Amino acid sequence: MTPSRKKRLTYFLVSTAVVLILGKFIFNSLQKNTIYFFSPTDLSLNSENPKGLIRVGGLVKKGSVQENKNEATYTFVVTDLKNDIYVEYKGILPNLFQEEKGVVVEGTLKDKKFLLGKTILAKHDENYMPPEVAEALKKSGNWNKKYDQ
Amino acid sequence: MISNLGAVLLIVSFLTTCSTLFLYIKNNIIQKSSIYLQFFLFYKVSFYLILFSFFVLIVCFGISDFSIISVYENSHTDKPLFYKISAAWGNHEGSMLLFILVISLYGILFLLNSKNINDSLRACTIFFQSIIQLIFLSFLIFTSNPFSKIFPVPVQGLGLNPILQDPLLAIHPPFLYLGYVGFSLVFSLLLAALILKQYNSGWASIAKKWIMLPWSFLSFGIGLGSFWAYYELGWGGYWFWDPVENASLMPWIASTALIHSIVVMEKLKKLFAWTAILTILTFILSLFGTFLVRSGVLNSVHAFANDPERGVYILFIISIITLGSLIIYILKFPKETASNNSFVLFSRDFSILLNNYFLIFILTVVIVGTTYPILLSVFTGESISVGPQYYNTILAPFIFIFLILMAIGPLMKWNGNSLISIKQKIFSFFIVSIFLTILISLYLSRYNFIFLLGVLCSVYLIVSVFYEIVMSKKFFFTKQNFSRLFSHLGFGLLILAITLNHFFSKEINAKIHLGESFFKQGIKINFLKSESSKEKNFEELFGIYKITKDNKTFILKPSVRKYKQPQQFTSETSIQRDGLSDVYIAMDYAGDPSTGIGVRFYYNYFVRLIWISFALITIGGIVSFARRRNEKTI
Repeated sequence: MTPSRKKRLTYFLVSTAVVLILGKFIFNSLQKNTIYFFSPTDLSLNSENPKGLIRVGGLVKKGSVQENKNEATYTFVVTDLKNDIYVEYKGILPNLFQEEKGVVVEGTLKDKKFLLGKTILAKHDENYMPPEVAEALKKSGNWNKKYDQ
Repeated sequence: MISNLGAVLLIVSFLTTCSTLFLYIKNNIIQKSSIYLQFFLFYKVSFYLILFSFFVLIVCFGISDFSIISVYENSHTDKPLFYKISAAWGNHEGSMLLFILVISLYGILFLLNSKNINDSLRACTIFFQSIIQLIFLSFLIFTSNPFSKIFPVPVQGLGLNPILQDPLLAIHPPFLYLGYVGFSLVFSLLLAALILKQYNSGWASIAKKWIMLPWSFLSFGIGLGSFWAYYELGWGGYWFWDPVENASLMPWIASTALIHSIVVMEKLKKLFAWTAILTILTFILSLFGTFLVRSGVLNSVHAFANDPERGVYILFIISIITLGSLIIYILKFPKETASNNSFVLFSRDFSILLNNYFLIFILTVVIVGTTYPILLSVFTGESISVGPQYYNTILAPFIFIFLILMAIGPLMKWNGNSLISIKQKIFSFFIVSIFLTILISLYLSRYNFIFLLGVLCSVYLIVSVFYEIVMSKKFFFTKQNFSRLFSHLGFGLLILAITLNHFFSKEINAKIHLGESFFKQGIKINFLKSESSKEKNFEELFGIYKITKDNKTFILKPSVRKYKQPQQFTSETSIQRDGLSDVYIAMDYAGDPSTGIGVRFYYNYFVRLIWISFALITIGGIVSFARRRNEKTI
């Protein structure tokens, strides 16, 4: 092997190794930090509760928003009009949070019907329907044209 | 009637752009003439037509002409004039018109500021710029015409959402557009140079200022967007690794790599192929960002109502532009320069090469994190999102090494091993920054390993920048590295501020009754009193809080607004300065203040340094552009 070829070969091998290691690094971190989305129906069908951070989306059920008098917490029901889930959320509700509008909550499951919300995703637009929520409503067969704005 | 004028202007500008292209092909390609007057004139006319139609759109919003669908959907007679006007680009159609205006504006700026370049290169650049302009004009006219009519004409508009009435929300999109749409010009310049066989180191000197200008706007736009999210969302944070934020970050990283590689190309006639690829990549990523924001494939905290069908069109446009530019690149790239790519270890050019490897890695991490959820949902139907921890844990160690490289790289000489001559400097910076880090950590009494590492590396960069400033103070304002020092200092301070903010910020959530106080983490929040006021469209409930921290008191006045039409609540944050830090409080939308009101309190440590860093980075870019503006080239 000529020196220049040898050099090129080592260069190639080293860079391949570096790329593979970094790729593995990215992949692992991605696996660890993936947050899955569930509709209330998905959760009721699951035999095992997902662990860690998840997102749950649907409509905020009419009349379900309640303020806890002694702590800065809210409870409300997220529904895909087939199944419901209770959400307890500590903190301030985002500006466009409204009953009968779409919402996505990030948090951990306490049990199958109870989510401890950590973050409520904000929106820039009052008519915006999160794509997952639309999908969840379509799946539960309760999609209504009026949501499609 | 004025709305018809707008629609006509758009069609005329479309036709003018077509004739501009036709003129170039007829006169300059087929007849091989080298007179471009007519061609340039037509291009200027097309610019004025677009500008005029944008102006007409603004007027339509200003006078609330509800015969236009987009005015009807996004405006309202009760809106303040400023927001009526900003609503013109706050929606998809209007923003696409602004997009085209920016493409055209960069074409005109180039035409006016490139008289020292040969005419054939100028003309060919404008030719490609007109092609891009034409592609987007047809997209606008055929899929999302801002002047589409509605009949019967409604009496009132729909868009009176109070949350969207925010000055920064109104002005940050134009800056982002001036940023990433501006990369179209250097992209056109590249294709023109490849076709005309003028892709050489002289090209690099011309192109650099046309990268610096949009890069500065983009840096500024990202900063503004981040600042908006900080005070408006009420979460205390300034960056959420959200896909929409990433959409603007990706072209920024690519163009930052480009700024560096193009210097090597200019000075040492190396990295020709790599610079070309980065130029193409930067523009493609800008378009990709537009696609992400406008197509509705994302699930984001900053979501806009949008139409997936348009996404398909934008994706189609991206594929055409990518394919077209790659074909030109492959066919026309000057092969004789490709072999000249040897690098000496520990030379300045080598450090720039390393910088580019790092940036490409960072870019890859961001692209993977942003697109992985989209790809997964397309192929498996699962919806997921990627948490911010993904970015933080992967990027932090690389950013730390990157900071050290940023400090050492500029000390080296071009094209030669200079490790020995700078060994002493590297070492003494190290001593100084360890000393400073120890001081900082003693002062703050925090000894977390990651914290120390973050401070050490950013201080290292800051020390090296100050060393250079002190050493070259005689010629400081004339020397070339002035802009680089600014931007590097900004970046060093940015990482320092982020590290400090990450480790020392405090968050308190509490429910406090009127007249009572709450004590936690050395901070006392006292709910003094509440006041209410009535405005035209809303009732506002103010809470007056006294915050006591380290013997300092702050009076903050956050509020909750209850709007009538549409009925909703908004919470307005109240922020006060404490040195470079912020005392930040937001109130909950509770009903009766006597039963206690929930508050979210943040002590945002050194957050103001983040905005200062953004400003420094931007200033560096503008200085570089301004300096190169008057340079003679070729």
